[in-house]
Amino acid sequence: MYERVRLGIMSALAVREQLTFNELKELFEVSDGNLSAHARKLEEARYLTCTKSFEDRRPQSVYRLTSLGRTALNRYLDHVEAVIKATRRR
Amino acid sequence: MSYPQKQSVQSANTVRIDSQVAATLRYIRGSMEAASSIAVPGSAGSAMGIVGLLAAVLSSTAGLREHWLGIWLLAAAVAASLGIALKARPSSLRGLRLSGTPVRKFALCLIPSMFAGAVMTAVHWSAGNLHAIPGTWLLLYGCALVAASVPTTGTLAVMGGLFISLGLLALVLPDNLQTLMLGTGFGGLHLLFGLLIGRADHGR
Repeated sequence: MYERVRLGIMSALAVREQLTFNELKELFEVSDGNLSAHARKLEEARYLTCTKSFEDRRPQSVYRLTSLGRTALNRYLDHVEAVIKATRRR
Repeated sequence: MSYPQKQSVQSANTVRIDSQVAATLRYIRGSMEAASSIAVPGSAGSAMGIVGLLAAVLSSTAGLREHWLGIWLLAAAVAASLGIALKARPSSLRGLRLSGTPVRKFALCLIPSMFAGAVMTAVHWSAGNLHAIPGTWLLLYGCALVAASVPTTGTLAVMGGLFISLGLLALVLPDNLQTLMLGTGFGGLHLLFGLLIGRADHGR
């Protein structure tokens, strides 16, 4: 998750109920292969779910953040906030 | 003797950890902003609907009928303030305010039709063409909602379409039905869609 694109995918899905593969590709300007690889990693970690369907006879992948993914993102944000607070205190 | 030299080289090349973390946080915020569609809270629609219904009741009350334009203009200002206040409330997530791009998009979609509505109101009023004002308001507010549905939710497009239909109808209906049309639109439709959006949000 700490990789830049993966973090971006998680953040985007935190504010949107679902995003399609093409929406994510457009958002992060990455290639199909690159996005697939990152999304698969997040799916393997059970941070995302992917639902495959057909729209106008074209395959469509829809991604959603799982509760485990949301918890992981929140934990990461807590960590980031803690680091910022700690360094500002010095 | 070499130690201070080594230290100065190290400090020049070292990236402060908080600057890296801040950049990460900026990236997260940017991703959220770029992906986010603006939440339209059902409470804003309901509140605006109640104001609309009150305005409809007041402007159809004997003795106040001749002040209908003032009543509705005041109601518009109150409803807009309520809408903005209630809309701003849920748009923060972990202290990261959803401002910037999505809000700018929303404003750019909404403002042109609202501005046209204000100009047309002044034009109709100065020409003594008061009967065309309710239809113009409903029509242009509907256009604003359809445009604003792009960065928000498709539900607004349906609501906008209904406002446009009401506006077109109001333009051909007699004067005595104009308050009814305004009440149906700014009161009834706001309240109905506010409740629908609120229910959908609650179910999520």
